[in-house]
Amino acid sequence: MSKAGSEPQKTMKKASKDQDSFYVDAEERLETLRGPKEEEAVSAALLPSVHRRDFMKLFSVGAAASAAACVRRPAEKIIPYASQPIDYTPGKPFHYATTCGGCAAGCGMMVKTRDGRPTKIEGNKEHPLNRGGMCALGQAEIQGLYHPERLDGPMQRTGAAWQKTEWQKALKTIAAKLKTSKKVGIITRGSTGSRHKFFREVLVRLGAKESNLYTWEANALYSTVGRAHKLAFGHETIPRYRFSKAEVVVAIGSDFLVSGLSPVEHSKDFARRRGSTRRSYLAQFESHTTLTGAKADDRYVIPPGFELTVALLLLRSLYENQASKGSSSTRSEIEKILAEHREKLEKAYAQLNFSRNDFDALATKVLAKPTIIIAGSGANFDSNASLLQLAVILCNELAGSYGETLHIDNMWVNSPVRSGDLKRFVADAPDLDALFVIDTDPVFSAPSQWQVKEAIARIATVVSIQPFPVDTGKLAHFALPSHHNLEAWGDEHPNAGLWSLRQPTVRPTRHSWQAEDIMLWLLAYVDKPLPFKNYHAYLQRQMEAVYDLVKPSIPFPVFMKVVQRTGFTLKLTKRSRSFVTSVSKYFSKLKEPASGLVLMTYLDHRLVDGRGAHLPVLQEIGDALTSIAWDTWVALNPHTMHKMGIRRNELLTIKGPGGVVEAAAYPLPGLHPNSVVIPRGNGHTDDRSTISNNNGVNPLAAIGYDLDPLTEEPVSSGQRVSIATTKRWHRLAAMQKADDDLQGRNDIIKTMSLDRLQHKKRLKKSLDDVPDLFPKLESAQYRWGMSVDLDKCSGCGACMAACAIENNIPQVGREQILMGREMHWIRLDRYFRKDLNEPEISVQPVMCQQCNHAPCEAVCPVLATTHDPEGINSMTYNRCVGTRYCANACPYKVRRFNWWTYRWGEIGNKERDRNPRPTNPDVTVRTKGVMEKCSFCLQRLHEVKNKAKLAKRHVYDGEVKTACQQTCPMDAIKFGNLNDSTSLITKKRSDPRAYLVLGGEPEHGHYGLKTLPNVNYLAKISLKEVASEHGEDKHGGGH
Amino acid sequence: MLLLRSLVVSNLLLICLSACTWMYTPGDTVDNSTQSLLVDGWHPEQPIPFSHQKHVVQNQIDCEYCHSAARRSNSAGVPSLNTCMGCHKVVKTDSPHIQKIADHFARNEPIAWVKVNDLPDFVHFSHKVHVNATNPDGTPQLKCQTCHGEIQGNLVADQWAPLQMVWCINCHNQVKVPAQNGHPAITNAPVSCNTCHF
Repeated sequence: MSKAGSEPQKTMKKASKDQDSFYVDAEERLETLRGPKEEEAVSAALLPSVHRRDFMKLFSVGAAASAAACVRRPAEKIIPYASQPIDYTPGKPFHYATTCGGCAAGCGMMVKTRDGRPTKIEGNKEHPLNRGGMCALGQAEIQGLYHPERLDGPMQRTGAAWQKTEWQKALKTIAAKLKTSKKVGIITRGSTGSRHKFFREVLVRLGAKESNLYTWEANALYSTVGRAHKLAFGHETIPRYRFSKAEVVVAIGSDFLVSGLSPVEHSKDFARRRGSTRRSYLAQFESHTTLTGAKADDRYVIPPGFELTVALLLLRSLYENQASKGSSSTRSEIEKILAEHREKLEKAYAQLNFSRNDFDALATKVLAKPTIIIAGSGANFDSNASLLQLAVILCNELAGSYGETLHIDNMWVNSPVRSGDLKRFVADAPDLDALFVIDTDPVFSAPSQWQVKEAIARIATVVSIQPFPVDTGKLAHFALPSHHNLEAWGDEHPNAGLWSLRQPTVRPTRHSWQAEDIMLWLLAYVDKPLPFKNYHAYLQRQMEAVYDLVKPSIPFPVFMKVVQRTGFTLKLTKRSRSFVTSVSKYFSKLKEPASGLVLMTYLDHRLVDGRGAHLPVLQEIGDALTSIAWDTWVALNPHTMHKMGIRRNELLTIKGPGGVVEAAAYPLPGLHPNSVVIPRGNGHTDDRSTISNNNGVNPLAAIGYDLDPLTEEPVSSGQRVSIATTKRWHRLAAMQKADDDLQGRNDIIKTMSLDRLQHKKRLKKSLDDVPDLFPKLESAQYRWGMSVDLDKCSGCGACMAACAIENNIPQVGREQILMGREMHWIRLDRYFRKDLNEPEISVQPVMCQQCNHAPCEAVCPVLATTHDPEGINSMTYNRCVGTRYCANACPYKVRRFNWWTYRWGEIGNKERDRNPRPTNPDVTVRTKGVMEKCSFCLQRLHEVKNKAKLAKRHVYDGEVKTACQQTCPMDAIKFGNLNDSTSLITKKRSDPRAYLVLGGEPEHGHYGLKTLPNVNYLAKISLKEVASEHGEDKHGGGH
Repeated sequence: MLLLRSLVVSNLLLICLSACTWMYTPGDTVDNSTQSLLVDGWHPEQPIPFSHQKHVVQNQIDCEYCHSAARRSNSAGVPSLNTCMGCHKVVKTDSPHIQKIADHFARNEPIAWVKVNDLPDFVHFSHKVHVNATNPDGTPQLKCQTCHGEIQGNLVADQWAPLQMVWCINCHNQVKVPAQNGHPAITNAPVSCNTCHF
């Protein structure tokens, strides 16, 4: 297909440069985008200005003082239980199955607790949704639990002053107010469990109506997809997507891999069709560069707001194709829609710069194989959002996807929200006397033009019940801390026939109460009690109903125990469905997309609508495409920036219909020239948390009041804005720097065409067959190796979060990152290739490569880093004296130096004290002056090896899982024993796509650095012929 | 010249002196005083003067009756109060120390014992691997006494072993793990750094 919005090539600095080489940032191709030198000097100002002499003086004083204190270290205490639980063994962890509360998807998780304290969250590998995977948000929940800025006890506000109060006193005061209140409302986040039902019962008990429960999720996909299915099929449900069955996936502005409806479930499914010749084809139409777009085989850039047009053009081509399916009534509906918009569609081909044949070809592809057509993400909740979903439903009907790859009649997905609730809330608010804001933050996560803040401020009694203080809480009269997800009872009902239980994994760490229990107490105080002792009792009652449905052959108490043990219960559920109503009439509400620069505020997959903003681990893993941590940026097309004279890190004012926001510019390749893209999640200004306060901006401030007519959900994208520079600079904390650090080394990231893969069964030559002068390595029982499939990796960053929490890796804050002192043991590198407007994007997780000929080992003067017989390059922290020679020697730049002794379990005044969580007792906590790096999760390895040793057997293949591998939603990482010829990892290492980073082109006798890493990568598969192809018979780039 | 030399020497001295506590964090420093403490032993006062001699020698209670996790877990564990109360509900209830235990047990309040064998936090040791190590004939390779000395005779628990790395390594270099299950014999117990340091 042809290109959209191509810029004249004359502006390209290196137009003649090899278009096929990789680049890290747009500046490498467009020199004018580079920020000024002065602004680079910010880092120098951050360095301490202590002179060498002063340092020596200070040092001597400190040394003299410490010389006297050379005594035995303080005696530690052993505190055994007074009465030990019967199944407890000291030193052994417990695992609890529970359900994640990060988003409404309802993934199952296994929480590892030690002596009653959760230390790590892992996906529940039995759970049918996430099958062991976990996203970064789920991994980070552990930080939310121990966050020191959670409220410890209820607070009451008089005027502007907040005072601490007693629980019973607070509840009695609220109850007294409730007695005189005529209309009570509850606004809460989306959930598929019994929670909403319970709140409705509470409201009815209080004399309010069931409709006074308002649900609010910033992720409007739930309501748009749900509403569109309601209009088309009569049920407000979301289809269950089966990407593992789909051979063709057409995504229209969708980011389903990282921030869709159920990202981990979809990733797990999609990954099964990646990394092999059974590969599915993904076409993506988008105006914003997303991680899903980065994985697409064909990525088409479209102007912002044209998603619906694309869907209709595809619908037209599908409809006119002989092979298309669909009932006659459906087809007549489509006929009507196409007739109504015929002129518009004819013009659209030219606007999009596509030809009709392009769409016809795509339609043929779609109709030939099992297909999923999916649309919508956080970047295009514009006023056509529901129509887009309707059009996609029609496309899927014609493609025959329903019943094949999409299921709305068999274990369908429940919608966690009721659409249009925010509009109803704002309309009802003047009549409300009392409002409970439970576990949601509409003031921050809804556009400010919707006047939610003003609506809440007018209500006489506002009670905020939150596990963590939120911006909305500031308007409340009472702030009551509720249990964190890991302390609470609850459930989710994500699919019809799937019930996922949430149970406490720890005793409450604060003086908090379960939100539902607070409501039960209030009902008791207003003399209208519900007949339940607590919410747990209510949940038991709900589970009794589930028990009657599932009909297991065990008594109910045993059934409950089983559910608590496995985390969920299943019952195959089906229903009949048909295409009921006429949908063509809604398409008259189609709105023209805005012209000029169009603002898109999207839900960042880490911080979502701001609920992850107080978790440092999420802030610090950074955005994979920009590599920026701790900030909000405005992503613009590099050519647009060049034309407007804007440079990177230049502070811009973005003036939209709703107001003005200010953020620094970042040139992101692959954006449409008209796209102005700002992530949501940051920009809290309400002293909510030291982490999120005054960090970035909330782009919703620029969004004007507008709604999607079908769902009445607020629009957060697609509005015209103007951009002006402030002539000021803000240095974005980008972890990958704008210099050509690839230097033409094509053996860092490799691509292979599918054609070639089909003809090549295995590597000609083993990766380990490298001629060198070193003695051969001794053969041990094990040689541990890892393989990372670049065709699978989506760049979601879950591995970084899991690694940080497993291995006690500190978060260091923006200031340190600007100095290049981030501590990630695994990082995500991303590379662009080809044109700035239509780049090919590759993401590469890089951890210690565990070289067998490690350059770092040779330079260590104190033997702190050594090679073990099993191939692991190990780091002995207590030997390290901090010369940092190893970090300089490492060609992969994976070694991290502790510039400070980072403090744990607290958030300090310094920007680097950002670690609100306990440490993993199996891993040494490093102190200042020590080098560290990926250890292949030695603690997990030892645990399994010891277990095998005691059982007098080998370690089974796949028995050891590193933290990154365990959590990976795309199953891209594999780990195992390379000395076992039958192991999966051995197969991966001899895969035709296998290569070693900086390992040259072994097939041509170039062996690169000859570091012989035990980590190998599997080249990305490309559908097109690749010029500098991995394993190609002609020579690759220089070495 | 002399001045310069003395400066250098004094600085070096200061660096050496300061090495043990310069970057001090509790639990993280190398305890270089252990060796000197061996002269008179490390036997801190405990909240209750528990005598191993009375329990192990006189009453013939097996080590693993109380330290039941030693075989199953990385840490051997100190018994919880319900283990004590299993016997002391009826045995020697007139002793003030036993009454203290009973009192703590009744209040469900644990007793904080002082750690005697305290490895630095950068060393990871597993009891279960050592306790379960066997000779080819199936007999245990190690006894508790191999590392804990004649602890059964102690009136107050003390640290017998220096717990310095050289002491660990001496043993790991000597002990052979015999051929078993078709695996060849391993000459030594593992001595690579990451066996204990990770």
